[in-house]
Amino acid sequence: MASTWRLVPGQALLHRGWDGAFVLYNDLSGDTHLLSEEAMALLLALRDGDVTPEELAALELAELLATLRRLDLIEPC
Amino acid sequence: MTTVGSLTRAQLGEHLAGPGIHLRTGRFTTLLRSPIASVADGIHLLYGDYPLREGFADFHLDLVRPVTLRRWLRPQVTLLYDGRSMFKPLPLDQAFPMFEWGLNWCVSSRANRYLIVHAAVVEKAGRAVILPAPPGSGKSTLCAALVGRGGWRLLSDELTLLRLDDGMLHPLPRPISLKNASIGVIREYVPGSVMSRAVTDTVKGTVAHLRAPADSVARAGEAALPAWVVFPRFEAGAAVTAEPMPRADTFMQLAQNCFNYSLLGAEGFTALADLVERSQGYRFRYGVLDEALAFFDSLP
Repeated sequence: MASTWRLVPGQALLHRGWDGAFVLYNDLSGDTHLLSEEAMALLLALRDGDVTPEELAALELAELLATLRRLDLIEPC
Repeated sequence: MTTVGSLTRAQLGEHLAGPGIHLRTGRFTTLLRSPIASVADGIHLLYGDYPLREGFADFHLDLVRPVTLRRWLRPQVTLLYDGRSMFKPLPLDQAFPMFEWGLNWCVSSRANRYLIVHAAVVEKAGRAVILPAPPGSGKSTLCAALVGRGGWRLLSDELTLLRLDDGMLHPLPRPISLKNASIGVIREYVPGSVMSRAVTDTVKGTVAHLRAPADSVARAGEAALPAWVVFPRFEAGAAVTAEPMPRADTFMQLAQNCFNYSLLGAEGFTALADLVERSQGYRFRYGVLDEALAFFDSLP
């Protein structure tokens, strides 16, 4: 698994959250996703450059990253 | 203001068979033409309170008998939209329900200045309950009971129109479509209810349409603030239960019930998120109408 990731270009991360659950509009696919607080925090961190390659390489994030990639929200770089 | 009710049944039939009528429902005007007697009967019975307008029409609908050899063996009706046949012909007996379904299609596929949810919507004291639900969930029965006996105003039995600019719900009061057993249930439950003749063997089973309350029709220009989203499920004999829903779940389920959410893209997302933010969602189960109505009156 890649150790560096970025948002797929064009994602504005239009989202709204209530009580720890988030809905997010995928600008490219037109889909809407229901995301956990952790997933949303990771996306925002990737957007803001607020996460290091070492942190992204952590095993605990592997499944979450794979899920976000399947949703076409992030890509390896 | 001229209304359908100002015409006799004979005059209405002549207009429909000739130049047509400009029927105003909510903010939409439909130029409707049809020489079919059951269409005139249905309009005469259920649309007496609705205005007739001249000039521009949003939708042009004709209900006609197709000219085919089948017409001698099995009479049919075809719905023309802007003069074009868009739908499979139906048995002639289904002409009036076909008008109702056709008009629903017009709004749900053309009125993209609104986010359109497949849901009933009723209002009391300015605050509205949205009732999205798949067929068979008891949505229309509940809606008919709420407006027939519960003192709620009908905004729509079928199409919830959410204004994109201010988040208000725009009324589209039209006859309520009842199916199968609910026809008899509402006939007994709502005193003085006026219904079209029940038509059997449609794709939805037996259907009849209930006349919308005159007050709801008169207030068709009065928008309402969304306050609750209730997903109903009828279970014979079940006690009322109302389980509050997390907002994110309410959002996802509402989005699945929208006709044009995908089409509107980010604008639709924002409008729906604003609606969910100001509304409380419930999973609602009911088996007895009196108990269901008591729950709606207890909404905070």
